[in-house]
Amino acid sequence: MKGSEAVKSKSIPEYWAIKPGFEEEIKKIINERPEPEISLDYEIAENDYVKTGKASSDVKFFLKKLGVNPEVLRRVAVASYEAEINVTAHSKGGKVTANIYSDYIIMMFEDYGPGIADIEQAMQPGFSTANELAREMGFGAGLGLPNIKKNCDGMYLSSEPGGSTTLIFFIYYEEKSYAAK
Amino acid sequence: MPQNDIHTKEYFHSVVFYREDCIGCTKCVRVCPTEAIRVRMGKAIIDPHRCIDCSKCVSVCPTEALRVEADKLESIYSFKYRLAVISASYEGQFAEDFGFKNALKALYHLGFDEVAEQAMITNITAEIIRDYIKIHPNIRPILSSNCPAIVRLVQVRFPSLLPNLLHIESPMSMLAKYYRDKIIREKGLKEEDIGIFLIVPSASQVTAVHQPEGNYKHLHNGAIAINEIYSKVLAMQKELEEDTRPIVSYANGLSWALSGMEAEEIATEGIETLAISGIHNVIEVLSNIEGHRLDQYHYIELRNCEQGCVGGGLNIENPFVAASRIRKLINNSEKIKIDNDYFFRLYKEGYFDVTQLEPRSMMELDKDIKTAITKMKRVKEITDMLPGIDCAVCGSPTCKALAEDIVLEKAELSDCLIRLRKLRTKKNEE
Repeated sequence: MKGSEAVKSKSIPEYWAIKPGFEEEIKKIINERPEPEISLDYEIAENDYVKTGKASSDVKFFLKKLGVNPEVLRRVAVASYEAEINVTAHSKGGKVTANIYSDYIIMMFEDYGPGIADIEQAMQPGFSTANELAREMGFGAGLGLPNIKKNCDGMYLSSEPGGSTTLIFFIYYEEKSYAAK
Repeated sequence: MPQNDIHTKEYFHSVVFYREDCIGCTKCVRVCPTEAIRVRMGKAIIDPHRCIDCSKCVSVCPTEALRVEADKLESIYSFKYRLAVISASYEGQFAEDFGFKNALKALYHLGFDEVAEQAMITNITAEIIRDYIKIHPNIRPILSSNCPAIVRLVQVRFPSLLPNLLHIESPMSMLAKYYRDKIIREKGLKEEDIGIFLIVPSASQVTAVHQPEGNYKHLHNGAIAINEIYSKVLAMQKELEEDTRPIVSYANGLSWALSGMEAEEIATEGIETLAISGIHNVIEVLSNIEGHRLDQYHYIELRNCEQGCVGGGLNIENPFVAASRIRKLINNSEKIKIDNDYFFRLYKEGYFDVTQLEPRSMMELDKDIKTAITKMKRVKEITDMLPGIDCAVCGSPTCKALAEDIVLEKAELSDCLIRLRKLRTKKNEE
């Protein structure tokens, strides 16, 4: 069982989704790894539905203080909240780092396992492995990852079955693919 | 971007501060939902841009240094023809043995020529809102806009949700608009001869009358607090009993004085609604809406005061007692037909439309994002130096807010007494 999952994940060890128009810029960030202006760190505990959401609401507050466009702010709020819930519901806990730059934000979620068996399947809307507790809390509709993808300009997901999962997303303050209202 | 500069715009406030009465206790600082108040040099300072006139501070001030100031009854007499538009919570203020019909009659005795109840157009307002929901399928959820404190809260703290606000006049403004035209038409009076006064239960309604948002011109000439006329009305009981004039009342529509009833009445034909009251509950929910977590609702009713308008600070009666009376009135009421089609047509013609609501956000630390980041870095550094107990003794609502005030040069690190004491203890130990 473990072996077959490992083989499966080897064919798709990671997943990239970048919105048209952002490829060059995101590639540049990956190559140059610029220092963030500010870095915020949070811990996320397994199954802690009381405290979950703290990181995303903190980051949202922070971006408001910077005067980030309200629509972009809502996208950051959605993506970060979904990602935070994912760590809470599907992992043994983890940590999140929000790297804030002057024209974009990168958020990195890293958990302590147990990993995603099949990333491509996990990206399908409606697919869920949520347990009963998560469903009782109103989560587990299988829309988390697709929703993150929809709201960010670039997204990276890698997972080792049995090991940790890393999710990174990029959101620019200036809308490019989104027509500002 | 806002057309008029939000940094220089002057704001009208019904919550008024009397500096000489302030003892610097910081109670107001801690309850303010927009962090608009600081205590400096032992006295409160209110930021007029951030204040939304929710009057939370008024209710905790121990010395009445913070008060709500509405228009005086005398101000109606400078008009030839006077119309009172009464909030639905008014009728809940009077005990059953006084009688709500007497409460309505009393307004004529106080000098009004005509009385209009907010309750009159409750049904048609619900119909209008249902139509608005249907013709705006891309806006979810739509947020109620008839509580002025909530409109201002969204402008200050949740500008991303401004498009979600129902962009239609509040029922009391709809009535004022309708009646002004009707009186001009039927009585042949000039516009300036007519005085339209709202009888209101809360501070923010007074503010809205004097400085409406999303509106071109003032619809009303003033707002009189329920508690300003209450005693005068009670004292008239005898003469009211003798007054036999017929009183038509739309008690059936009083439901909107109570939190939850608006949402309930709109929830038909598959429309999902939710009702929230109390400003701190509202803030929590608005934050969730910002994160698209309540998109399943078509319409959300939001009220600053707990229990709805019956909980307004300018009422006399306990909100639960008033609510119970209003329920009784609704149950015993007769349905009176009003020309709903006429109102609906006016709505469709855009007669009640309001202009796009603009942000009033003072959230950002600087207009330039790079400078804002530099400031925010400094805020973070300073926050780490502070005790994090949010005692407000420094005069700022939280340690984070103090850090921000220091960066914006509105406070100093030495304002934190807890930190000062810790430093001294440390020095003594050395």
